[in-house]
Amino acid sequence: MKKLVLAVLLCALTAGLVFGAGSQEINAAASSDSGDKVKLVFTSWRTEDIDLMNRINAEFTKANPNIEIEFQPVKNTEYDAQLKQSLAAGVGADIMFLRSYDGGYQIYETGSLTELNGKISTLKDFPSAASAAWSTADGTSYAIPAVGVVHGVYYRKSIFAKYGLTPPETWAEFMTVCKTLKDGGETVFAQGTKDNWMLYEVVYSGLGANFYGGEEARQALMNKEIRFTDPGFVKAMEKMKELQPYFPTRYEGIDYVTMQQIFGTGNAAMFIGGSWEIGIFEEMGGLDDVGYFAPPVEKAGDTLQYCFHVDAGVGMNKNTKHPEEAMMYMKWLASPEYAQLMMDELPGFFSYTPGSYSLNNSLAKEMESYVAGSVPTVRTLWEKLSAEAPSGYDLICQAIQQMYADKMTPAEACAYVDNGLSWYYK
Amino acid sequence: MLEAKKKHARFLFLFIFPAFIIYTMFMLVPILNSMRYSLYTGTGLLPDQFVGLDNYVRLFTEERYYSQFWNAFGNNIKFFLIVTLVQNIGGFFMAVMISRKFRGNKFMRKLSFLPTTLSVLVVGYIFKMILNPYYGVFDKFLELIGLESLIIPWLGDARSAIWVVALAVSWQFLGTSILFYTSGIDGISDSIMEAARIDGANVWQEIIHIILPSVLPIVAIVTILIFIGNFTQFDIIFAMTGTRGDPNYSTDLFGSLFYRTAFSNSDRGGWGTGMGATVATMMFLIVTVGVGTFLYFFSKKREALEK
Repeated sequence: MKKLVLAVLLCALTAGLVFGAGSQEINAAASSDSGDKVKLVFTSWRTEDIDLMNRINAEFTKANPNIEIEFQPVKNTEYDAQLKQSLAAGVGADIMFLRSYDGGYQIYETGSLTELNGKISTLKDFPSAASAAWSTADGTSYAIPAVGVVHGVYYRKSIFAKYGLTPPETWAEFMTVCKTLKDGGETVFAQGTKDNWMLYEVVYSGLGANFYGGEEARQALMNKEIRFTDPGFVKAMEKMKELQPYFPTRYEGIDYVTMQQIFGTGNAAMFIGGSWEIGIFEEMGGLDDVGYFAPPVEKAGDTLQYCFHVDAGVGMNKNTKHPEEAMMYMKWLASPEYAQLMMDELPGFFSYTPGSYSLNNSLAKEMESYVAGSVPTVRTLWEKLSAEAPSGYDLICQAIQQMYADKMTPAEACAYVDNGLSWYYK
Repeated sequence: MLEAKKKHARFLFLFIFPAFIIYTMFMLVPILNSMRYSLYTGTGLLPDQFVGLDNYVRLFTEERYYSQFWNAFGNNIKFFLIVTLVQNIGGFFMAVMISRKFRGNKFMRKLSFLPTTLSVLVVGYIFKMILNPYYGVFDKFLELIGLESLIIPWLGDARSAIWVVALAVSWQFLGTSILFYTSGIDGISDSIMEAARIDGANVWQEIIHIILPSVLPIVAIVTILIFIGNFTQFDIIFAMTGTRGDPNYSTDLFGSLFYRTAFSNSDRGGWGTGMGATVATMMFLIVTVGVGTFLYFFSKKREALEK
């Protein structure tokens, strides 16, 4: 028996040695094979963009054959936690998307980001409002402002044509459109409320801004001059509540992807969405039938409060194994060449890189056309008000979801947010 | 003789040593380290300011923290009760069924374990699709059999979401409890069963008087395993309702609460690593106390049975 055990152990040991040596050889072969080729990992929360980003990055590799970019996105809702963890564990991506303001700033605070001042010379020419979203109070930049997005309403041209409807400009017209469509038996909106980030980031920040007073009110709220229970914010909430009768049946169970599928396949007349969704609708059924209009204003002649959100900055891992190559790639990301490529491949993503560009996508052009006559703003509680728990972000997401579940009135929803933000007013 | 035994002991130690090293490095040290972090605070990922028990005080005195903690605790109890009931009762009766001799019972045994071999994420996404209000087959099925009045947005409604998630988990891990119970039933001597049958016992009497008493210790094992699994459950919540335990934190369990509070940015519900470690330590305590209580309770039961 003992002999048998010994024999088995010996076999195992020998096998271990053999295989161990084998894998070492393989590793050695791989590294010598690749020569000086460097692989940089680029991560973002845009899992939809793998093919597009690969095409863009191929252009960079063409010019820099020794650098290969691997795009590894992570599910939107889990991105921030995973980024933080992987950076701490030392296995973080070399280049990464960063949320604007507090989200990105907290990553910077962990000491994992390269400071960019003086390293990327063109950075100082970026619009200051955009740079501020990824800078410290004393002006240290930790990301290239890369992507701005707008929020508005997509519509199906064919369904609108069937009822002789035109894109509404005022809220009253908007409601008439909704009613006409509903009376005709159409699914008016593809909206669901299962993923509540959408309700705040797109619906309330996008369509509500015209009612709470847009950028001016947002600034006043941040400066503690007004509270979230003030009439403007409540009124915006009430207006959002007016949309509820036009949501599809059992909207509480419809998640983000399902919404896109409902609208993308032409099964709903409208979808309140973000500019980043152009590409998705293009893939699902083409854009010929898709139109877009900006959030309707209260009265004809009002100035549009347009949520042009500072969506993504690009930061660089301080502990990357290939700092030189990563910086080369970063410089390229800050160049007009990349900006044009990105806007071609990802219509609806608007670059902050100074330069003159042509937009080849008619929907993106349409979205951009509203900017001129508008007051741009960003998402309501994004800056400063989400720096601590419970964050304005979490509170408003929950509140709107509860409002649509008929558990809270619009006024109660605002009170819930205001109450949760008590840490901000201390 | 004594000398020989000592040698033997040393030899045995050699065998345990690698496992001991691995256990210490990958279990004990991280657990103790996370407990240490619960005494610190700071903005970075590795908190550096020592604050003693302040994190614990804050967790139980500040509403923003304790409301979420107790909410997750309540949900976890609810979740545990549903899963325990389904897995114990369902598992037991399935085991009784497949341990009887009929054509294909071997195949049934294998089939019953199949869901357990799937990834939790896969199960979560499949259930999510089945229950999708727009294209899910479950609602279509209810419509087909004339029960459309019962349809609700299963995962979007705070009343039903926790049930759906608990049932998905129960379905997946039913195989484990079936495995435990069938092994218990297989262990019952054939002569006892035969004697019962000769005495004219029907199936129900067999179950009540013979099978149930012999598998009672297995209830303890199954329940304790479910307890540990449920109070550290994370994957299914991640897959089905997201790490914020939507809707309105109604499916937020300790696993998701810990993940969110420890690793998320503050805007997405993070409380900082120190507070996260505090939540983790509390989870550890609750699981330890829970398992201890169960063990005590079941060993008392067993003693009483043996007498």
